[in-house]
Amino acid sequence: MDGLAPLDFGAVWQYRVPFAWGLWTTVWIAAVAFAIAVPAGLILAWGRIRGRWWVNLPIMGFVDVMRFTPLLVQAVWIHFALPALTGASMTATQSGLLALTLHVSAYVCDILRAGIVAIPKGQWEAARALGLRNRHTVVRVVLPQVWPLVLPPLANVAVGTFKLTAILGILAIDDMMKVANRINNMVFRPVEIYTAVAGAYLLVGLLLTAGANAVERRFGAARQAGRMRRAQAMGRPGALAGRPDGA
Amino acid sequence: MELDPGIVLRNLPALLDGLRITGLAFLAALGVGLPLGALVCAARLRGGVWGALGQGYVAVLRAIPEMVLIFWMFYVLPPLLGVRGSGLVLGSLALGLVTSAYLAEIFRAGVQSVGRGQWEGARSLGLPARVIWTRVAIPQAARLAIPPFVNALTELLKGTTLLATIGVADLALKAYVLGAQTFRYMEFLTAIAVLYFIVIFPVARLAERVEHRLAAAMK
Repeated sequence: MDGLAPLDFGAVWQYRVPFAWGLWTTVWIAAVAFAIAVPAGLILAWGRIRGRWWVNLPIMGFVDVMRFTPLLVQAVWIHFALPALTGASMTATQSGLLALTLHVSAYVCDILRAGIVAIPKGQWEAARALGLRNRHTVVRVVLPQVWPLVLPPLANVAVGTFKLTAILGILAIDDMMKVANRINNMVFRPVEIYTAVAGAYLLVGLLLTAGANAVERRFGAARQAGRMRRAQAMGRPGALAGRPDGA
Repeated sequence: MELDPGIVLRNLPALLDGLRITGLAFLAALGVGLPLGALVCAARLRGGVWGALGQGYVAVLRAIPEMVLIFWMFYVLPPLLGVRGSGLVLGSLALGLVTSAYLAEIFRAGVQSVGRGQWEGARSLGLPARVIWTRVAIPQAARLAIPPFVNALTELLKGTTLLATIGVADLALKAYVLGAQTFRYMEFLTAIAVLYFIVIFPVARLAERVEHRLAAAMK
C-alpha cells in the first residue's frame, strides 16, 4: 500500500446536499422515463400486432435498433448528432431523458407484444361473439389478462431503467454519478466518494430488485401456468433484466 | 446539413484501433466472467454457506449499475489494494464480474432444467460423476442455456462502451473524439451505431430463433 491516507468520509458528508440532489435526479429521470415508456411501448406493441406492414416494419426496425445498439452511443448520438439534423439543440437532461425513454420503450414493446400474443384467440372471438366493441374487447377483456403476465418482466425493466440512468452522467446531467465526478474533481477523495456512491446505488438497486421479486412471486404463477411461454424469453440478461435465466 | 460519409473512411485506422480495444475488453471480460460464472454456479448448486455466498454475490452484482462498478473499480481498487491498473484492465475486470453474475444464473437455470430422472438414470447405469456431467447433464443444460448465454454476450459487447467513460480508447470513445475534433458527430456516431448493430443483430436474432424453437419443442 503506497501511502493510503486514512479514510475520511468528511468530504462525502460535507457535500451531502449535492449528493442528495444527484440521487433525486437519478430517481426522477428513471421514474419519468419508465412512466412514459410503458404507454409508448403499449402503442408500439399494438402497432406491431395490428398494424399493416408500413406500421409494423418501422416499429420493428426501431425496436431492434434500440435494443441492439448501446445506450451510451444512442445518448451521445441524440445529444451531439441529432441537433445537426433537426437544428434544435436540446439540454443534456432532455437528450438523456429522450434516449433512455426510447431505449426502455423498445424493451417494453417487446414484453407487451409477447403478453398480448399469449392471450388465446378464443378470448377475442368470445368477446366478439358477445357483441363487444373492439375497444371494450381490448380494455375490458384482453388487457386485464395481459397485465399479470407482463408485470414481472416489466418490474425487471424498471430495475434496469434505474441502472441505466448511471450511463446518462456522460452528458452534463447532474445525476448521482456526475455529481460524484464533479465533487471528486474538487476534493480528490475518490475512495470515499465512489464507495459512498456505489453504496447508495447498491442500496436503491437492491430495494428495487426486492420489489421486482415480490411482483414475480405475486404474479409469477400466471407464467408457470404456461400461458406465456414467450415471456420466458424475456428474462434477458443485462441491463434490462434482473433474471436472465427466465426462471 | 451536408453529410460527408467519406470522413469516416479517411479516419478508418483510428476507428479500427478503437475496434481492437473494444474486442480486447470484450475478450478480457469474458475471460474473467466465464470461469468465475461457472464457479459461482457451482457454489450456488452446492448450497449451504457457499450457496448463500454465491447468492449474495449474484444479488449485489446484478443490483449495482455496471457504470458505477466500473468507476468504483477504477478509482477505489488501485489505492485500496496498492496496485496499478489501466482503465482497460480494471474496466474489463468490472464488466467480467457483472457478466459472471449473469452467467452463473444462466448456467444454474440450465443445470436445474435437467430432469431428476436423467441424473438417476445415469447413476443407475453406473456412470461415473464426471461422465454424467459431460455426457448427460451439460449437453441438455446447454440446449436451454445457449440463447440467454448469447444474449449475455451481446449485453457485454454493449457494455464495453461504458469503458469510454474512464478513458479507454474503445470504438465509442474514438468515434466521439473524432466527432468532436471534426464537428462531424453525425457521421462518426452513426457509423459506429451501425457497426454495433450489424454485429449484435444477427447473433441476437439467431438466439431468439433457437429460443422459440426450444419453447415450441417443450410444449
